[in-house]
Amino acid sequence: MVLGAEHTAVFLDGRSNRKRNVTLRFAGGLDIAEEGTVVDSWPYDQVRRADSPPQTLRLRCATALPLARLEVSDAATQGAITAYCRSLDVGGASAGQTWRIVFWSLAAAASILLLAFFGIPFAADRLAPMLPLSIEQRIGGAVEKQAAFMFGGKTCNGAEGQAAFTKLVDKLKTAGGIDLPLEAHVVSSRVPNAYALPGGKVYLLDGLLKKADKPDEIAGVLAHELGHVQHRDSLRKIIQTGGTSFLIGLLFGDVTGGSAVLFVGRSLFDASYSRDQERAADAFAVDVMRKLGRSPKPFGDLLVRVTGSDADKSLTLLSSHPMSEDRLALMSKDTSAREGPELLSAAEWKALKSICSSLAKGEPGTAGFKIKW
Amino acid sequence: MNETVSLPFDVSPVPPPIPGVNRIAFSGRRADFRRLVIRGTALELVTVGFYRFWLATDMRRHLWSNTAVDGDAAEYTGTGKELLIGFLFALAILAPIYLAYFLVGLEAERIKAFASLPLGVFFFLFAQFAIYRARRYRLTRTVWRGVRFWMTGSGISYAWRAGLWVLFAIVTIGFAAPWAKAALERYKMRHTAYGDLQGRFEGTGWSLFKQTWWMWLLLWPSFLILIPVPFILAAIRATEWRWWTSGIRIGDVGFTCKLNDSALIGLYWKVIGWSVLLFTGLGAWFGVVFAIGYQSVSASVSEEQKFIMATQKLPVLFALGFGYILVALAVGVVIRIYLTRDVWQRVVESITVQNLAAADNVKAQGHLVSALGEGFADSLDIAGF
Repeated sequence: MVLGAEHTAVFLDGRSNRKRNVTLRFAGGLDIAEEGTVVDSWPYDQVRRADSPPQTLRLRCATALPLARLEVSDAATQGAITAYCRSLDVGGASAGQTWRIVFWSLAAAASILLLAFFGIPFAADRLAPMLPLSIEQRIGGAVEKQAAFMFGGKTCNGAEGQAAFTKLVDKLKTAGGIDLPLEAHVVSSRVPNAYALPGGKVYLLDGLLKKADKPDEIAGVLAHELGHVQHRDSLRKIIQTGGTSFLIGLLFGDVTGGSAVLFVGRSLFDASYSRDQERAADAFAVDVMRKLGRSPKPFGDLLVRVTGSDADKSLTLLSSHPMSEDRLALMSKDTSAREGPELLSAAEWKALKSICSSLAKGEPGTAGFKIKW
Repeated sequence: MNETVSLPFDVSPVPPPIPGVNRIAFSGRRADFRRLVIRGTALELVTVGFYRFWLATDMRRHLWSNTAVDGDAAEYTGTGKELLIGFLFALAILAPIYLAYFLVGLEAERIKAFASLPLGVFFFLFAQFAIYRARRYRLTRTVWRGVRFWMTGSGISYAWRAGLWVLFAIVTIGFAAPWAKAALERYKMRHTAYGDLQGRFEGTGWSLFKQTWWMWLLLWPSFLILIPVPFILAAIRATEWRWWTSGIRIGDVGFTCKLNDSALIGLYWKVIGWSVLLFTGLGAWFGVVFAIGYQSVSASVSEEQKFIMATQKLPVLFALGFGYILVALAVGVVIRIYLTRDVWQRVVESITVQNLAAADNVKAQGHLVSALGEGFADSLDIAGF
């Protein structure tokens, strides 16, 4: 230690904001002396750097009062301090800390994605049967309005057509052993589609009826929708969508543009759950048709007719449904006996096909591109 | 208006010192902040967003430690880890609330019409609570001359006041907004202290109203032609900064802010310019990606279906998503540089402190509070920087 070279600093003791002019002595520790009296002594290995503007060295001590500070502006003293206090930057920001943050963030992301992929569908499968029907019906009421808005159109109620429709649905219901309340309607819309809503509401759009050549085709479609009802797929879908949005939202927090990521991520997951549910509903339809002694193949034919050939499409991660031709293949595989009686007579089929003609030319729905059955 | 854009803060002559009057100096280098924000944003991307806690902390540390009153720089003592823990706590509390929200929403469907209103009100109040608590966290991490700022008061009580005042402001189609701002600021400052120096707020709604009413009147019709909007908004903002700063008292220490009406205009336009540039780039990128995706669909299907199929291709989706995220992050960088750092610099450099001697020999008081409020604010997407 060079005597005479006085090391001056400003000391803030952490009890008040009075700036005390002190001298520093490098003894057993960093001694802080005011007017010749040592007022505090900081062990060298406990002295840490605190934030400060570039030209000032500001120090704190891990074992002193949390806000006690030493401010050193003279370069020689700063040099002496860095020479004595070797742990100035311990615990501060470092490359190691950044890597740790990166590692644990990615680990958290991976576990959240795994949870979304395996945990949520499992939870939905277990939860859906436990929820009372009244809840599902309540949700159905809300969704119904949205659906009506999207597809447009009114409920068709040509008397004879309605009778034929009811007969067909009842047959399918009995064969499928549906034990949940069910409500099926034909709705006027150009969109060739059919859908099942929460609470056992099944809608057949007239556009699909127009494209159908025989009762078995429509029967297959309805059986498929009844499958969704029986499996309570709408409710499961709601639990899944809610769960994944929550998890993915949790993951991305407030990164700007997070909502777009959220949307894409959710679509990917939803589509994947959805394909599984569609396959299950197809299997249900095949089973019902077999019980009625009818072939499920016409359903597959109608599918392909409506969606077009799959030859130049590829199943993408975003497709909510399996490929039509794969589905046709599944339906054609069943070559068991099909000696059951016709589901509807020729007259009934004709009445069903024109069930919507009693309506004044309603507002045509927009051409739907997302096939939803 | 152009001559007002280049601001004179680094060429302004040093005024002769007036006894009892101190300027606030900002010594942060723009390049340092830019590097900090770009690095932090890149890490945000890599860590799927989790780095935001450390980025916010680093930004605050930079701004605080480069802001000096009477030659003594402030210090921010918060850490990213505290913010992360606050966020996790908030999550634990919010998760059941979201579940309840979902169930209540179902129930509310039956009553229809005003079903969503009470829930919206609840979340608004909750957001106010979070804002108050987040301010409290930041304040208790703010240290000057070895003594911290701190805050009492209750977030719940603040949330009710905020709710009622905002309701009042809405009922009066905005005319009461200055009084709402003044009242809420009074509540916040009344519960703010630096050591044993008690804070208060002396700005009044009337003085803010007097200064800004004509700007608001100009603002609404100017939305029709858009161009004047940033000018007027920048002027309103500058006026509010002046009014707010000049109203603050900490003990007998007072502040005056001489921020020019035009001081922020250039910054607003720079943000707009960068955003236009970035979104144009994004549009071009989308166009190219779509064109390539569209070409690769060798289908005999309708144009519409071709379009849909192009958007469903995985590489196309990733290219679009990636471009979007990059641009969103870049806009974030621009906003942080111009609207956080540059606004900070211009505002603090325009402030003079009166009677700073009244803040000598202040005794340390107050305790640290957790970052739970910041966590709530983060979860609700209302986090300040």
